[in-house]
Amino acid sequence: MAGIKPATPASKPEEYKNVFVYLETRDDRLLRPALEMIGVGKKIAEKVNEKLYCILLGGNIRDQAKEAVSYGCDVVLGAESPALATYRTLPYSHIIADFVKEEKPNIFLIPATRNGRDLASRIAVRCEAGVTADCTEIDVEQDTRILLANRPTYGESMLAEILCKRHRPQMATARPGIFPVPEKVKSAKGEIRIREISPDKAILKKEILEYRKKNVVDLTAAKVVVSGGMGLGKPDGFKLIQELADELGGVVGASRPAVDMGWISRDHQVGQTGQTVRPRLYVAVGISGKIQHIMGMKNSETILSINTDPNAEIFKYSDYVIVDDLYKAVPALIQEVRKYKSEKQVAPTEPS
Amino acid sequence: MVLEIIVMVKQVPDSQEVVIDPVTMNLNRSLTRNVTNRADENALEAALRLKDSVGANVTVVSMGPPQAETTMIECLARGADRAILASDRFFGGADTYPTGLTLAATISKIGKFDIIIAGEETSDSSTGHVGPGVAEFLDIDQVTYTSKVEYKDGYVIAERELEDGTEVVKVPTPVLVTVLLNSNVPRRQTLRRKIDAIRKGFEVWDHDRIGLQPEWVGVRGSPTIVRRMRPIKERERAAKKIELSAVGDLVKELYEKNVLKLEVDS
Repeated sequence: MAGIKPATPASKPEEYKNVFVYLETRDDRLLRPALEMIGVGKKIAEKVNEKLYCILLGGNIRDQAKEAVSYGCDVVLGAESPALATYRTLPYSHIIADFVKEEKPNIFLIPATRNGRDLASRIAVRCEAGVTADCTEIDVEQDTRILLANRPTYGESMLAEILCKRHRPQMATARPGIFPVPEKVKSAKGEIRIREISPDKAILKKEILEYRKKNVVDLTAAKVVVSGGMGLGKPDGFKLIQELADELGGVVGASRPAVDMGWISRDHQVGQTGQTVRPRLYVAVGISGKIQHIMGMKNSETILSINTDPNAEIFKYSDYVIVDDLYKAVPALIQEVRKYKSEKQVAPTEPS
Repeated sequence: MVLEIIVMVKQVPDSQEVVIDPVTMNLNRSLTRNVTNRADENALEAALRLKDSVGANVTVVSMGPPQAETTMIECLARGADRAILASDRFFGGADTYPTGLTLAATISKIGKFDIIIAGEETSDSSTGHVGPGVAEFLDIDQVTYTSKVEYKDGYVIAERELEDGTEVVKVPTPVLVTVLLNSNVPRRQTLRRKIDAIRKGFEVWDHDRIGLQPEWVGVRGSPTIVRRMRPIKERERAAKKIELSAVGDLVKELYEKNVLKLEVDS
């Protein structure tokens, strides 16, 4: 367990089997990154003919365990206690490290959310495992069962492939918003193993005095995102962005400089330090296309960019470009969408 | 009795001017300027504010090559009381495991501490894993991603920023805290303090002084290895130019290709 000692390689790596994923929850509800982990974990488990284990802790987790099974989880390993209702580093890391020692998984994936990162490195040290942070591509070598953990590096310009050959489990944290949420499985069969646990009081000293929920705009689930940047020239420009987003049934995003200017709240920020989105349509309005923004939207299915600068970097990442004044182009788009809809005679769409 | 605070800092390549060697695909360190990791400056400032408000000894700890001396002097010039650089050729090439191990061993060698403060992550590797790793090695609790840190009667009270809210936590010391980038405005170095800092100097500890075996640390002590690096290839996109007069056609195309849909979907 804890103590200042080096990481000892696994004496028999071949004994380590199956794929663990950590299901992050809030108020006993599965968060979207939990579903993303099930998706990528299942793919890897199937490739090497192993089972997907979902690790679930909380105050009341029966329903979430069933939900995990419905998404394709083979075994839910759960720990339930009122003391586990809210994530806390020590009890969560101790219990999960015990699960790892009992079940000896070959691979363990954890979302690279804030609580996920808080947890992953503790488990890695506790289990003397190797962990690769913030992966955007994850695969497994079929014959060796070696995890191929890929993470962007050097300002997101390069992808590093990182291996953990001798230590087990092979751990990785996965960037939220990158891996798709899987489809539900028809007639899903999975085993649910939940144990009631009373953690030692010594590891329950941290008190959560208060949780102030933010009114977060979840951009990651949106099918259409319309984002504004410095090209808007003024805070009011976001009214026009909102109008287009409403018309398309989408949500409003923003580049970091626009957020830093105080034109719109940080909840709307798309990019490396904001949210990572992959909608069906991404509209970039008055955004030049700095790498920090590109990282958050480049996986969108279709990208339309509007910018007066014909050499704007964002155009390299776009399917369609309008090189013109956004204050002409956006109203034209709104008008044409309204026209199209009225020809088809349907009511305005609600944000999805 | 004053608080003993340890601040963990790292010198990193300036993220504004990273140069990649096109042959080796590695960082060209000779062309890249080094700076103190910005979130670590916020960590030091958080420590100095505790020193101002409740009284503390602030010791800065770093692992890095000899050129990290500029960072050590800078931290002293901002107001740290002591600076220790864990530096040894054996430490090179470490992943997060031996990095945490080396820092934890250095800290435990220093002796008693109440609070360890670090930046949320470093800008060069962006893992955020070293802080929690150190806390695990030292078997203490942690509070990560904080925007506000206070100390009262043996407890740290801090605000943690999560994706969807702010958690207010109270935890007894000893504890490790990581602070968010830009969570405060770091004080400036004064010329007077800088002269004092250079005069005072900092300590350099090698593996032997810290009590570490060479095979525990650096590349030899790392469970992970980088197998290869490749440039991130993006999907080719057409960047089809649309004139204002053709926006109607574009809208029609987007609906017909199901990029836009008339029905509400989720």
